Amino acid sequence: MPDPYPTPSLARHPELLRRLGALLAVTVLAALAVLAGPTAAQAEPKDTYVIGTDTTFAPFEFTGEDGKLQGIDMDLIQAIAEDQGFEVEIRPLGFDAALQALQSGQVDAVIAGMTVTDEREKTFDFSDPYFTGGVQLAVPEGSDISSYEGLKGQTVAVKNGTTGKEYAEENAEKYGWTVDTYQETTDVVDAVKSGHAVGYFDDYPVIQYGITQGSGFQTVGDPVLGGDFAMAVNKGENPELVEAFNTGLANLKESGKYDQIVDTYLNADGGEQQSRDVLSVAATYWPTLVRGLGLTILATVVSIVAAFVLGIVFGFGRISRIAPLRWISTAYVYVFRGTPILVQAFFVFFAIPQLFPDLKMGAFVAGAITLSLNTGAYMTEIIRGGIQAVDPGQTEASRSLGLGHWKSMQKVVLPQAFRIMIPSFVNQGIITLKDTSLLSVIGLAELTYQSRQIIASTYMSSQILVIVAAMYFIVITALTLLSQRLERTYAA
Amino acid sequence: MSANAKIIVQNLHKSFGDNEVLKGIDLTVAEGEVVAVIGPSGSGKSTFLRCLNRLEEPSGGTIVVDGADLSDRSVKIDEVRQRIGMVFQHFNLFPHMSVLENVTLAPVELGRLSKAAAAERGRTLLERVGLGDKAGAKPASLSGGQKQRVAIARALAMEPEVMLFDEATSALDPEMVGEVLQVIRDLAEGGMTMVLVTHEMGFAREVSQRTVFMDGGVVVEEGPPAEIFENPQSPRLRDFLSKVL
Repeated sequence: MPDPYPTPSLARHPELLRRLGALLAVTVLAALAVLAGPTAAQAEPKDTYVIGTDTTFAPFEFTGEDGKLQGIDMDLIQAIAEDQGFEVEIRPLGFDAALQALQSGQVDAVIAGMTVTDEREKTFDFSDPYFTGGVQLAVPEGSDISSYEGLKGQTVAVKNGTTGKEYAEENAEKYGWTVDTYQETTDVVDAVKSGHAVGYFDDYPVIQYGITQGSGFQTVGDPVLGGDFAMAVNKGENPELVEAFNTGLANLKESGKYDQIVDTYLNADGGEQQSRDVLSVAATYWPTLVRGLGLTILATVVSIVAAFVLGIVFGFGRISRIAPLRWISTAYVYVFRGTPILVQAFFVFFAIPQLFPDLKMGAFVAGAITLSLNTGAYMTEIIRGGIQAVDPGQTEASRSLGLGHWKSMQKVVLPQAFRIMIPSFVNQGIITLKDTSLLSVIGLAELTYQSRQIIASTYMSSQILVIVAAMYFIVITALTLLSQRLERTYAA
Repeated sequence: MSANAKIIVQNLHKSFGDNEVLKGIDLTVAEGEVVAVIGPSGSGKSTFLRCLNRLEEPSGGTIVVDGADLSDRSVKIDEVRQRIGMVFQHFNLFPHMSVLENVTLAPVELGRLSKAAAAERGRTLLERVGLGDKAGAKPASLSGGQKQRVAIARALAMEPEVMLFDEATSALDPEMVGEVLQVIRDLAEGGMTMVLVTHEMGFAREVSQRTVFMDGGVVVEEGPPAEIFENPQSPRLRDFLSKVL
């Protein structure tokens, strides 16, 4: 399960994304979309099923101290797989992304603390429910709020797409509270801790688990029960998997294994309380964070090298005497400079596999492609600008000696242009390194992603954020110093 | 004119967009002849010079330099340019190379000479322009006059048949003009065919065998320098000389 590069990923605005994807798809190549067509359903039983799940939905799935994904859903699907004799490959994508991946055929099923709704049943087939959720209100420990009545005129926080949000919005008028929606449980909790909201609505197991982890919250009233959690497959696909899940679940309930799993996460009384000072937190999670940093640096290096090549190709294209080359290069720059890198990442990761079913790629490949193309557009401009910044008299002098166009480029213009470009290259490198953090949205397990995972299971956002910021800062400062030396070395 | 004409220009036109800068120039330069081109700013004299090695693409007319027809699109311009040295107002030395590398770049890269042979000739040329001790220096450390002498040595390294000077002393401090003019004078005495666009009237008069006065994109008057400077015929030349002398 814990795949070192948890392939795909996560985006929390399914509606928006779907619309965006569709829009881009249509805009880009309607004809190709038609050619691509829908993916065919597969019916034959498999040895291994790819299961999509959320990344940060403790206690159902979350990253433990050891960097491995754990939780009720994870233990359950493993136990069922063992019971029924199949293998599972877990892809922690984030909730919305997991559903996207299911629809685009990148995963066989999704188990992610998902509530069965009428709306979802139009698209998916569900297994038997394995858990009954319920919404509860959590407020900071020691708060004097003891009922909904105290919330008039106050703000409550919810996570997007949850039953907690539905509940809070349905009852907003009745109790007079305002609802602020966030993308992650982590953000919801931090919103309350930092005073943007007085409390938050969430699934009670989530709140309960947080309390066992020292989240510093208490609950108000009893959970409003409702909402069955079940595993989903695409409508009409993998019926044998649903069948196996149901049988396995019944067996686990029978044997008492089911209760054991649930109790592990909801009724464990805390266990040993972790140290919460920055240094011990850093020590505990160091391996995970370093792994994240490693991926950040790898993605940066790969992207910068590829972007440099793209920059040279299109940079020369931009100043080419051949008009179509200029047009193509200019279009490339405008498209990738003129759209946000997040949209590009979503497009590469979600829209392309839907347009071309054979082009499925992991988060790292998709992330590196996105970052390379994006950085390449800026590199193109740096290289074009650097070449054009060289005094035209240099080319004239070289050409008047009888040296050809390319010889003049190579011997006279480029060595000077390169010197002009160095500071911009370094600057772009730093931007690219920081932009890798945006790729956490498609599940690239880089530093920011890892930190989010740790926060989600520990509730120690301030400590983790300080550590992560320091790690970025140190790497970027080291790069800056290095580049200053480089500049001095190459200074004319 | 003579059978040994090095440069033959006939009815040369050049426009930048709607702006016609050269309106039909005819000029022939004989082998070993030194021609000075004078005229007010904007008269087209620099553009004319730059057409002679096709740094500017003529809009019409013919140019034949050392037997090569530049108006023929199929002419191998890089080969022709190897026979035409050019010196620029702003020197245009290659700042990332040493003085000697500036001089040896073209002969080495064009396969004319081995590195060692090019370096040897480069040193000889630098001696000739009085800069034998500067071979290893970077251009940035040189004075304007020294830079321009290096630029001349660089052009000479290709052993050109013709040398073009585009206001070679205009960007120099007055005290440095002399050292550059001396190098050009030496070249003239050595029999180099040269076209000089210049603002140095005294020098034009002294060194050229023929002086051409351009104004408004045409050759208004040409002749031996003594006549041009002492007995100008056209009102425009008289007016010009009254301002610059």
